[in-house]
Amino acid sequence: MNLVEKILAKASGRSQVTAGEIVVADVDCLLLHDLSGYLTSRVFEKEVRKPMRYPDRVVMVFDHHFSPPTEAQAQVLEENRAFARRHGIHLFDCGSGNIHHVGVRNGFVRPGTVVVGSDSHTPVHGTLGCFAAGLGNNSHAGMVMPFGKAWFRVPETTRIELTGQHEKGVTPRDAALWLTGQIGEGGAEYRALHFAGPYIEELEVWDRWLFPLITIDVGAKCGFIDPDDKTREFVSRFTAEPFEVMRSDSAAEASETRTYDISELEPQVAASPTLGNVHPVGELAGSDIQWAELGGHGGGRIEDIRQAAAILRGRKIADGVKFNVVPSSRQVFAQACEEGLVAELFAAGCTWFPPSTGSNQAINMGAMAATEAMVSTHARNFPGRNGSAQARMYLGSASTVAASAVRGKLTDPREFLA
Amino acid sequence: MKAHGRCWKFGDNIPTDQIVRSDRALGSMEEMRAHVLENLNPAFPLEVKPGDILVAGRHFGQSSGRAIAPKALQATGLGAVVVESAARLFYRNCFEIGLPLVVCPGITAEVEQGDVLAVDVESGAVTVERSGAMLTGERTDPFLLDMLRAGGIIPLAGKLAGEETA
Repeated sequence: MNLVEKILAKASGRSQVTAGEIVVADVDCLLLHDLSGYLTSRVFEKEVRKPMRYPDRVVMVFDHHFSPPTEAQAQVLEENRAFARRHGIHLFDCGSGNIHHVGVRNGFVRPGTVVVGSDSHTPVHGTLGCFAAGLGNNSHAGMVMPFGKAWFRVPETTRIELTGQHEKGVTPRDAALWLTGQIGEGGAEYRALHFAGPYIEELEVWDRWLFPLITIDVGAKCGFIDPDDKTREFVSRFTAEPFEVMRSDSAAEASETRTYDISELEPQVAASPTLGNVHPVGELAGSDIQWAELGGHGGGRIEDIRQAAAILRGRKIADGVKFNVVPSSRQVFAQACEEGLVAELFAAGCTWFPPSTGSNQAINMGAMAATEAMVSTHARNFPGRNGSAQARMYLGSASTVAASAVRGKLTDPREFLA
Repeated sequence: MKAHGRCWKFGDNIPTDQIVRSDRALGSMEEMRAHVLENLNPAFPLEVKPGDILVAGRHFGQSSGRAIAPKALQATGLGAVVVESAARLFYRNCFEIGLPLVVCPGITAEVEQGDVLAVDVESGAVTVERSGAMLTGERTDPFLLDMLRAGGIIPLAGKLAGEETA
């Protein structure tokens, strides 16, 4: 069996599972954010009306709001807080950081476990060797909260074998964006994606993170990386709880293998209207941008902030550009302070925002008028997600975001890194 | 389990954000229903009738997995959703709220806006009345069919978890 089959077998009390079977598995962690958590809590209290079975496994993070801009939104957060108190679940309030980063950094995500969440990017936790999937409000409210379980169809697995090394100025995010375009939106519907190969093994954990992050947007159910010593050391930093490191038996367990060599890769950008619309930055160079942002589920890492600083050091962002820096957690902000990066980026003209998920869906910030465009490290670029449906959103690496902010137009970061 | 009604046709890769805009996610279901899919067809929320059938292309319902997107579609009274393929969270959510969905490759080439369709949710068969074309969609898994018949996952959850005898 491969890793997700082993995890699902263990969690459903079986010795073996096979692709296509439906299993009912124990859930180790349920991650909710302020928006999905509110929708879920309403269903749980109004329609389900049962006790919360395992409150210690339920984590709510306010990441779409770092500070509510309207009374209605303030009311939602107050109701969420009251819900958390009534049921004794974990709550991380405004300013804690992005849901997935907070979940990991507080030790709720451990290898070998079943992690579910309303946020569709929940599969990112496959990075740590979990079976992690996004489910809907009714799964969480109807089954996870009252029974601690969820139903799953065991997915077919596609092994994504990545090889090669990229040149300076090209980053793992460029590889992940490019891979999204290669697989295509819906190109892996219902499948588990097993990211493997020498390229993945060489990466540090926060860079591996960018690969399971794309699984939902190519239509897959989940993505995973077999845990290794790096994973073990990484997770041990955040939790003293024991965990079982399982690995796939062999490459032969996948029903299909696709191999990609990223050696020739150039910096990539996904342009509106969809994530599959991926191009080398060079093809779109010169497109005006008014906003730049480091943030989101995969952005706002210390790695992103360092990449931006390498370009912004001794430079200023262009007139008319606003550059939002949104740390993914309080720990990242503290680290950026310690490394002097907060002052450096501020001096270059950037604005620091509280740890949160930033402009994701423009709940709290990041709305644009029809004539505006943003380049960011966010995970999505669909029309209307950030204000006007005519506004454009370009997704790229932190280096591309920073280089573009300096010029006021989409720019290949290698121009600054020669 | 069957549906029979007039078709509303949509394209490929439509995200849930276009079904219900994120900034309406905290509003009432009446408000979400009143604006459902309006960015793609302003007439849809105004003119859709109970029993109508929504037809869409590949990877329908991608992006955010909030069940409010299928719930807003369900609130219009749609009889069924028929797609080339569905994003998996959307697919799961439809059955979990009790909205029939049929995956029927080839459907978008065979139907036009306003065609009357007959859909057999169990077998996946779709008939287009105007042309008489008969398409063979995917059979619905018995597990999911039971969920639809129960009205979604909430009434079934205790039984699935092994704690209640239906």
